Amino acid sequence: MISYLANPERFDRLARALIPWGWSLTVLLFAAGLPWALAFSPPDYQQSETVRIMYVHVPAAWLGLAAYAGLGVASFVYFVWRHNLADLAARAIAPVGAVFTALCLVTGALWGKPTWGAWWVWDARLTSMLVLLLLYLGYMALRAALEDERLAARAGAILAMAGLINLPVIKFSVDWWNTLHQPASVFRLDGPTIHASKLWPLSVMALAFTMLLATLILVRMRTLLLTRRAEALERARERRLEAVAREAGA
Amino acid sequence: MNPLLALFAREMRLAWAGGGGAAGPAAFNLAALSLAPLAIGPAPEILTAAAPGIIAFAMLLSTLQSSERLFGEDAADGTLELYLLSGQGFTLVCLAKTLAFALAVFWPAPVIAALAGIAYGMSVEASLVLALGLALAAPGLALLAGFAGALAAGVKRAGLLIALIAAPLQVPLLVFAAGAGRAALDQTGTAGANLMLAAAVSLAALVLAPAGIAAALKARLE
Repeated sequence: MISYLANPERFDRLARALIPWGWSLTVLLFAAGLPWALAFSPPDYQQSETVRIMYVHVPAAWLGLAAYAGLGVASFVYFVWRHNLADLAARAIAPVGAVFTALCLVTGALWGKPTWGAWWVWDARLTSMLVLLLLYLGYMALRAALEDERLAARAGAILAMAGLINLPVIKFSVDWWNTLHQPASVFRLDGPTIHASKLWPLSVMALAFTMLLATLILVRMRTLLLTRRAEALERARERRLEAVAREAGA
Repeated sequence: MNPLLALFAREMRLAWAGGGGAAGPAAFNLAALSLAPLAIGPAPEILTAAAPGIIAFAMLLSTLQSSERLFGEDAADGTLELYLLSGQGFTLVCLAKTLAFALAVFWPAPVIAALAGIAYGMSVEASLVLALGLALAAPGLALLAGFAGALAAGVKRAGLLIALIAAPLQVPLLVFAAGAGRAALDQTGTAGANLMLAAAVSLAALVLAPAGIAAALKARLE
């Protein structure tokens, strides 16, 4: 399946077919999820209306982490099998994942002020999310600094895999350290402890954000693929022009 | 003599002699430590409470500051190709080189930490625990900085990039080394646990980082 898709032509055809579906599904899910989450779901008995930030904050946090896991897997696939599309996927994922992580931090600060009384607390979960953002930034900076595209891909893959060590630290930080941030309430062995009236809109919003993430990655992968092809064509044209100029001179 | 031992001795001599050896990072460490009280203010209770964190942080910065030259020159002048052709396991070569560098360059750091701890108002025992924590964290800090240095070797202004890459990976070492000093200062009884965790992270880096360094350098030479 991976090697079937490793053909850029085939991938391009598939992506072109999938992207309109991805956008439609994203819009539909947001159309259902946003009013449900922001207007129709009941306010919290403790936090009243401020709890609604959760419907953006929690999906953004999950997807920031999931995107990094995806970056790590894509990097591993590229590092072992040298499939260029895996590298393309890694390149496409990084900025999108960084934006979701930043969104999680910003919405967290906005939520923290009314509930904890502080914009920012140096607790384990918050700090490790900030470290995740730094990992994304370091990955992008390294790729941007290395001019040789193949070397950038290899070095980036190695760095992304090293950063994977941080993921379990973030996931379990609230269980290992008894800190201000609340422990996991959705993905638990004994079932979610969050009330169904909030769990449902949260699930719809999480799906909507997931579709948004997937669609954005597909679009970026196609853009990178087309940019690469355009550059190759440009180089070929320059070579042709040079050859013509040489012949005219000789 | 075992080729790896010979390499270790050579790298050690080079790091000791070339470019000031341990003096550069030690001076950087001292400068950071003497500027911090000027920024924070001289109030003893604040300075003492902040001391383990500031001292561990200054040590971390000094590893970042010196890691640029760990692989940069060898990548530029072809020494790395020779190491790769030498028939020794390249991962072991990277390990020997990084450890020699760490030992030659960072040996003053625990001494500085112990002295600085006393100067910041920590008790002698707490200062020694902090110094021990940093001594245990030093191989890990150096290996992770070396990993970032190998990835960024040959890049213009590699120093900035190294700091951005290595800092997130060095976080656990910073937390546990400073945590040991803080636990000894507050006498919470968890200093030993923090020391063991710092050593554990260093050992994990000892296993994983050389493979990463070797992979990063090989990608460059292919």
